[in-house]
Amino acid sequence: MLKMTHLQKVYRTHLIETYALRDFSINVAEGEFVAVTGPSGSGKTTFLNIAGLLEEFTGGSYLLDGVDVHGLDDNGRSRLRNEKIGFIFQGFNLIPDLNLFDNVDVPLRYRGYGAAERKRRIEEALGRVGLSSRMKHYPSELSGGQQQRVAIARALAGSPRLLLADEPTGNLDSLMARGVMELLEEINGQGTTIVMVTHDPELAARAHRNVHVIDGQVTDFDAESSPRHVDAGAPVAAIS
Amino acid sequence: MFAYYLQLGLRSLRRNPVLTALMVAGIALGIAASMTTLTVMHLMGSDPIPWKSDRLHYVQLDNWGPDQPYSEDGRPPDQVTYRDATALMAAGKADKQTAMFKVVLPVQPENTQLKPFRALGRATYADFFSMFEPPFKYGAAWNRDQDAGHARVIVLGKELNEKLFGGQDSSGRTVRMDGIDYRIVGVLDDWNLRIKYYDLTVGAFSSADEFYMPFTSGVDLKRRSSGNNSCWKSPGDGWDAYLQSDCVWIQMWAELDTPARLADYRSFLDSYVNEQKKLGRFARPLNNRLLDVNQWMRDQKVVSRDVQVQTGLAFAFLLVCLINTVGLLLAKFTRKSGEIGLRRALGASRREVFTQFFIESGVIGLSGGVLGLMLTALGLMTVRALYTSYKTVAHLDWAMVAATVVLAVVSALLAGLYPTWRACRVQPAAQLKL
Amino acid sequence: MEIRPILSALLRSKVSMILIGLQVALTLAIVCNALFIIGQRFERMQRPSGMNETDTFAVSSVGFGEGFDVRAVQAADLALLRRLPGVVAATSINSTPLSGSGWSSGVQLTAEQKTQSANAAFYMVDDHGLDALGAKLIAGRNFLPTEVGIRTLDETVAPASIIISQALAKSLFPGESAVGKQIYIDDPQTTPKATIVGVVERLQTPWVNDGYADIENSLIQPQMLVIGTASQYLIRAEPGRRDEVMKAVETQLAAANPSRIVGKLRDMEAQRRDAYANDRAMAIILGAVIIALLAITALGIVGMASFWVAQRTRQIGTRRALGATRGDILRYFQTENFIITTLGLILGSILAYALSLWMMQAYQSPRLPWHYVPIGFLCLWALGQIAVLGPALRASRVPPAVATRTL
Ligand SMILES: Nc1ncnc2c1ncn2[C@@H]1O[C@H](COP(=O)(O)OP(=O)(O)OP(=O)(O)O)[C@@H](O)[C@H]1O
Ligand SMILES: [Mg+2]
Repeated sequence: MLKMTHLQKVYRTHLIETYALRDFSINVAEGEFVAVTGPSGSGKTTFLNIAGLLEEFTGGSYLLDGVDVHGLDDNGRSRLRNEKIGFIFQGFNLIPDLNLFDNVDVPLRYRGYGAAERKRRIEEALGRVGLSSRMKHYPSELSGGQQQRVAIARALAGSPRLLLADEPTGNLDSLMARGVMELLEEINGQGTTIVMVTHDPELAARAHRNVHVIDGQVTDFDAESSPRHVDAGAPVAAIS
Repeated sequence: MFAYYLQLGLRSLRRNPVLTALMVAGIALGIAASMTTLTVMHLMGSDPIPWKSDRLHYVQLDNWGPDQPYSEDGRPPDQVTYRDATALMAAGKADKQTAMFKVVLPVQPENTQLKPFRALGRATYADFFSMFEPPFKYGAAWNRDQDAGHARVIVLGKELNEKLFGGQDSSGRTVRMDGIDYRIVGVLDDWNLRIKYYDLTVGAFSSADEFYMPFTSGVDLKRRSSGNNSCWKSPGDGWDAYLQSDCVWIQMWAELDTPARLADYRSFLDSYVNEQKKLGRFARPLNNRLLDVNQWMRDQKVVSRDVQVQTGLAFAFLLVCLINTVGLLLAKFTRKSGEIGLRRALGASRREVFTQFFIESGVIGLSGGVLGLMLTALGLMTVRALYTSYKTVAHLDWAMVAATVVLAVVSALLAGLYPTWRACRVQPAAQLKL
Repeated sequence: MEIRPILSALLRSKVSMILIGLQVALTLAIVCNALFIIGQRFERMQRPSGMNETDTFAVSSVGFGEGFDVRAVQAADLALLRRLPGVVAATSINSTPLSGSGWSSGVQLTAEQKTQSANAAFYMVDDHGLDALGAKLIAGRNFLPTEVGIRTLDETVAPASIIISQALAKSLFPGESAVGKQIYIDDPQTTPKATIVGVVERLQTPWVNDGYADIENSLIQPQMLVIGTASQYLIRAEPGRRDEVMKAVETQLAAANPSRIVGKLRDMEAQRRDAYANDRAMAIILGAVIIALLAITALGIVGMASFWVAQRTRQIGTRRALGATRGDILRYFQTENFIITTLGLILGSILAYALSLWMMQAYQSPRLPWHYVPIGFLCLWALGQIAVLGPALRASRVPPAVATRTL
């Protein structure tokens, strides 16, 4: 599903070159649930951004669902993103001026579905996260957990093959976090590949596989392992 | 505290120079447009002789033909006949009164270096000078006896005296006009007449009179007035027939010092016209008017339609500029809601937040006002170039300078009111929420 | 595109939208009416005077002192003027079109009628008059030298023949030929009728300003007007030689007789500029207001849109992350602007007509023609789209990574 080999990402600002990712290789198979952990600044978000085609990389290769994304232009990347990938952000990133229905509608609009198809999908997605009754509400009227569920519904609505989540529970209390996690597991159970960055060892433990990133490199693949190098309590980590 | 807010305001304005420039320019443009037109309108419409404008009255009688009104809206003719003017002068029922008309005469200077030239003047009565109060530099007006005696005397305007005598005291000397010598009795000083309100029939902004001579000697020249002359029927042949005709060409003013005198004069005019009706004149219904200076100026539409439209438009433009500023301030203050929340969390009261942002709006207004003032001066320069006759009314005076700045600050504060109020409503907690 | 969600998002930030909308509305209302006024002024300024303006000029002379024989001077002057090289024609004239001062009177068809048949401006010229004016004779004939008389204010001598303008002919004799007809042009009790011997295509009265009706009702009589010692001549030069002839006339007239003042020479083009100075000033001022207004509105849109883009950076990033292309983002802001301007323009068109209605009542101005508003719509739509383009392009360049990087 997702195959990166010797991937490199360099940020150039002024005179400083920051190697966010160096010689980063990973292979995520179809249907997998992968948790990515690592200290703050190690390159987790960078990895997700590249995986989700939000950023370009400076070296190495990346095949998404068998497609080499290197030669794609901006529009091609947008289309691919829209069709294959769902995003869940730490800060939810709901659009405050739109109600839940319209929020979930956003990626579907870009997909170019007809009105009936969109309505069906939105209702189904919101139903899956248990918020069908609040379709006309605005994000500010919801709790953090509910907002994140809307964000998940939005990610699901386009039936993506790959779901990318950057600390989806980072802004939630543990109870809510567990709820979101259960939802993700359920989605994964239905065949969607999930890559999730988290600082929470408990959540990471529930994934099929843990990937540990340090200094822009994958240091550890671990299928069922218990968490080892997790600095979950680090205050900096709370703000990603 | 004020200084602190001022400092904060200035700093914040400097941080977004483009936005600030946009707001200041917007206010300045709006202010300049409205102040330019307002100045012109204000100076055009303003009372030219405020201390006695309500006592000076323009006399109108309706001697027009039985079958046609002078004007569709029922106004009587804007001038009177020679017959009526002299009759009213002879009756002398007002405290002061003068009939007058415009004359243009060739001047033959003593100084042979100067070529003969035409001068624009006025034939009027001695009372003219005490009624309209032009300032004298040398000498004085002629007297009523000289009016009666058809005296060949003259009062020169400052410019003509400048031209003929180099500005020296010329009283007692003579000036030759169309072959007749007139003795100079007085010379006027600068007479800053913005509007030639004593004769609006030939244009309120026409050039100033260069000389004044007795009405009686003016008539002796047997020259028709250089102003307007309207007849509703043919005057007949010859000068005497013209004087006796119903042609109107003379302006008549009466000074009436009390309301009682005004009422008396009104009834005098009525009885005069009724008397004339018996002689077969004044076939139309009684329609005498005694408008005071300001009423007469309004009646003659001294402030033209164009100027009114321009002023209205300029204020609409100012409104657009203000709405623009409200929008930009709102954008700016909304962007600062984080800072506001923080300040509130750190203990600033709502009133303090209000003051801070209000001062910021004030600073914008003040800058807009100063820039607007410069643009207004530029605008008035343009008006003077476009309307050559408006040069007397298109300049800034102190009242207008003050008004400009005040208008700018008030507008900016008004524009800032809503955004500031919105800023105040930011909750202290807003900073802490996502 | 996606109008409904944009609209509902807009409705959540009403005030900003209302402010821009109001601005657009006022702009439309003012611009339409101001443009209409400018159009009217241009129309007025373009009205032809019916005379040759490029090659003609007028000069006045006033004598002084005893023994100034104005009639002899006039005859000598005209002879001198007609001899000058470059002069096509010269006439004595009482006033010229566009000069703002002249002589007008009622004319009537019968002696009994109590009201006038028409009002007309009176031009008094000699047999060279039509030539000097460059007026085009469309029926009848020019004056004969023998028909030219003298007119003084002391004695009314009615001319036997007159030439009138086509407009006056039509109003006096609708549907008929005016040539050969007779009308009273002076007091019918004391003077006989005059016969119309010719009709000129067009000749404006001296008064071009508002409030003077029947601007093309003119009447030409073959008379030399003598008022005191003053005279006025109208001279037509050969094409391209006007300025040269003017200089010659000025020096020669002054030299010909020292006991008179030669007035300032006025060419008809300058005369036209002066006559329409107020209209031109009004048009320029209104034009400046329109430009300033459009600039302010455009800058307001730029400012607000920039602010919105800055405020919504994260939202834009999120949309990009969810699959929006750059074009989608660009179109979002363009559509948003389109919606706001359209709402503003709808309000603005009502305001425009209201303003026009008010001007009709307060200033008796004509009604705003309907097509001004749609044209204004198109212009302001274009203005809005151009103004929003910069901020919208900036928005489209927001990188999608903003979604994960900013809070
Ligand atoms: N736009 C950028 N320009 C320059 N350097 C960047 C940029 N974005 C990220 N970096 C750097 O790249 C490195 C990796 O950052 P990244 O955001 O991927 O860390 P992370 O693992 O997500 O950390 P956290 O757990 O705190 O979210 C960091 O050193 C960061 O400073
Ligand atoms: Mg991160």
